[in-house]
Amino acid sequence: MITTSSKLFYGLGAVSIAGSIVWMIAHDGGALGAVALVFIATALIFLGAIASYVRDGHVLSTDTEQHDSAPAAQRGPDRSWFPLGVALSLGTLVVGLVTSPGIFKVGVALLIAMLGEWLIQNWSDRASSDPSYNERVRGRVVHPLEIPIGGALLLAVIVLSFSRIFLSLSVNAGPIVFAIVGALVLFFGSMLSIRPGTSRRVVGTICGVALVGLSVVGVVLALDGEREQLTEAAEEDHFAHRACGEEADYSDEDAVRAVSAKSSVAATVTLKNGVLYAEMDGYSGPLTSITLQRSLNSNILFQNEDEGEHRMVVTYGKVVESLGGGVERETLLQACTSLVAKGGQQGVVVNVPKPSFSSTEGFSITVPGLEGASVEVLVP
Amino acid sequence: MKTARRWRNASKAAIAVSALSFLASCAKDAPQDTWQPAGPNAERIDNLQRPVFYVAGVVGVIVFVAVAWAMYRYRDRGQAIPEQTHGKPVVEIVLTVIPVLILLGVAVPTASTIFKLAKTSDTEMTINVTGQQWWWEYDYPASGSNIEQYGITAPIVTSGQLVIPENTKVLLRVTSRDVIHSYWIPKLNGKKDSVPGRVHLLRMEGSKPGIYAGQCTEFCGLSHSYMRMEAVVLSRADYDAWVANQLEEYTAPEAGTDAAAGEALFIQQCSRCHQVNGLKNSDGSLNIAAPEQNLVSGAAPNLTNLMTRNTFAGASWDLLTPECRDNVWNASSADFGERYLAGVSTECLNQKDLREWLRNSPAKKPMYADPTKLASTGGLYRGMPNLGLTEDQINIIVAYLLERK
Repeated sequence: MITTSSKLFYGLGAVSIAGSIVWMIAHDGGALGAVALVFIATALIFLGAIASYVRDGHVLSTDTEQHDSAPAAQRGPDRSWFPLGVALSLGTLVVGLVTSPGIFKVGVALLIAMLGEWLIQNWSDRASSDPSYNERVRGRVVHPLEIPIGGALLLAVIVLSFSRIFLSLSVNAGPIVFAIVGALVLFFGSMLSIRPGTSRRVVGTICGVALVGLSVVGVVLALDGEREQLTEAAEEDHFAHRACGEEADYSDEDAVRAVSAKSSVAATVTLKNGVLYAEMDGYSGPLTSITLQRSLNSNILFQNEDEGEHRMVVTYGKVVESLGGGVERETLLQACTSLVAKGGQQGVVVNVPKPSFSSTEGFSITVPGLEGASVEVLVP
Repeated sequence: MKTARRWRNASKAAIAVSALSFLASCAKDAPQDTWQPAGPNAERIDNLQRPVFYVAGVVGVIVFVAVAWAMYRYRDRGQAIPEQTHGKPVVEIVLTVIPVLILLGVAVPTASTIFKLAKTSDTEMTINVTGQQWWWEYDYPASGSNIEQYGITAPIVTSGQLVIPENTKVLLRVTSRDVIHSYWIPKLNGKKDSVPGRVHLLRMEGSKPGIYAGQCTEFCGLSHSYMRMEAVVLSRADYDAWVANQLEEYTAPEAGTDAAAGEALFIQQCSRCHQVNGLKNSDGSLNIAAPEQNLVSGAAPNLTNLMTRNTFAGASWDLLTPECRDNVWNASSADFGERYLAGVSTECLNQKDLREWLRNSPAKKPMYADPTKLASTGGLYRGMPNLGLTEDQINIIVAYLLERK
């Protein structure tokens, strides 16, 4: 039986065949267009055959029982965004291939995720004729993955945005902003607890706006760059070890800023009016000589009460390396703070492996650039 | 019948254990008895703990009697369960107020004692105390009053025995090189934890010359029980003599003697970890030990003046024979200094334990010193390994060590 829609396909197929013949005549035997039209005709005839086979999926108007139950009467699956997602993932992947391995990896991950979601969506759409059941089936499969990964990504966006914001803000503004944001979160949470009946839409809108706002500010400040001090520290190769005494405003050296290092110090060394002296628990006055235990981590705290910025350097011997051919290289064993401004403190942890009598020069604590500012270090 | 017999047996066992515990408290001359203070700091603790103990004892007896009476008086005899009531404000208030008053009464002297024990402003001498598995190192800094009042012009480092002058307010700066230990000489003061990376302060003062024993009180590994210590209190004159002796230059053994051969072997075998100040290599350069390359703690006992001490291996064994040890420990205050400063002579040397130690130290004191099992520490030992010395080598090492005083 030739149904209505199959007539359309068969007719279009016949037109395509006729068109291919006309094409060959008009183009003097040119086959390319004719082949294309033949393929179209084949496809249309194939579709016409399918339409005939399923009888256009129609339900007889007299068969009222099938008006609600026939497949054609059911709600079709929702529009799927996954083809778009796959396309974007492929685009990311290609861009990454040209620009950066990181973007390429993100593209691969997105592609795998989108294809996976698409496959599961298609599978669940065919699970039954009940869309809500299909949705539950889909959720049962993908929610254990979607929810934790989505949560982690959301958290990552928040943390990343916050970190960009605080790396960009000045040292003084950071705590103020953090306090304000914290207060707002506390306020919002308190309001929710006072009014538990607040609609989910309102809560969701506030959270969504906050998230978008945070992300936008994070992106803008990330593009703006980190604050000046951090930029300078990076330019000075912040994490590289430098020889003590070399000027580097933001270099850490071996300095320890941990609270624990300041809470239990072996000695506090102070620079005041160009004079360096040490203080230790158990000694009543300032000391010009201190004794440290051998092979022991000793916390030494430097406090600068002098004008300008100064660093403390602990020198505890030297290592002699043979470079061959009778050439030797001497390297001083040193630990030092970074430059400390007036009123500032910084600690260093020193572990001296050899007794001080092993060195002809002795061990000492000095301040570069200040002649005579020295404390003797004895190690038994 | 069976139940009654079991009760009788259990009662007998309980009585026997209680009696033994009671008898143990009657020991005389217990070297680590907290009830026999020998210095002002320990006396402060004693003055606090005695009244607290008496009060706690009285309260304890009252509670025990009350509980026992209630158990007997209201024991189950098949009677009907009496009416159940809840809450008796008067009783509850009284039973709250009385303990509060008692605790307040204890808290005031306790706080006062804590502050007195923590005082450091009157310190007359400072000594660094460093714990490591399983021995204590003492070093006397050449700084401040140590130089001015006690003539310690160069750092002195020793181990096993802390030597202090009598009636002197000594401040110990206690720390650790590896794990947490705890320093405790019961007759001189309370205990103080030694923690890596921290310096804890502990006052120490001895009222009369003598030796006071203690031991590590924080479990610190395999040989924790062998981590002992002794505090030696000397009269001021004797202390000055001890300092002068410690600061003396190194004297090399006479050429051709066993001691000279022992010195060469010491450089070859022992000085990898043990420092002897002033010891020189065959090329004339100073011999500098490298314990940091061989030991987890990075330190081994300095043996410069070993035979001025009475103990070795973390004060686990005496360097003196039992007779000579008793001669020192039981000396009167007047004679003690002279006997202690005599050090260890050939006749008094505890050859048995020292030779056993040199023969195979891990067999004598458990340590992580098996060279085949050092993967987790990167090849570093905890304690002294078995050096595999022959009897001849032990003889010459002992001869060398006997001159270290």
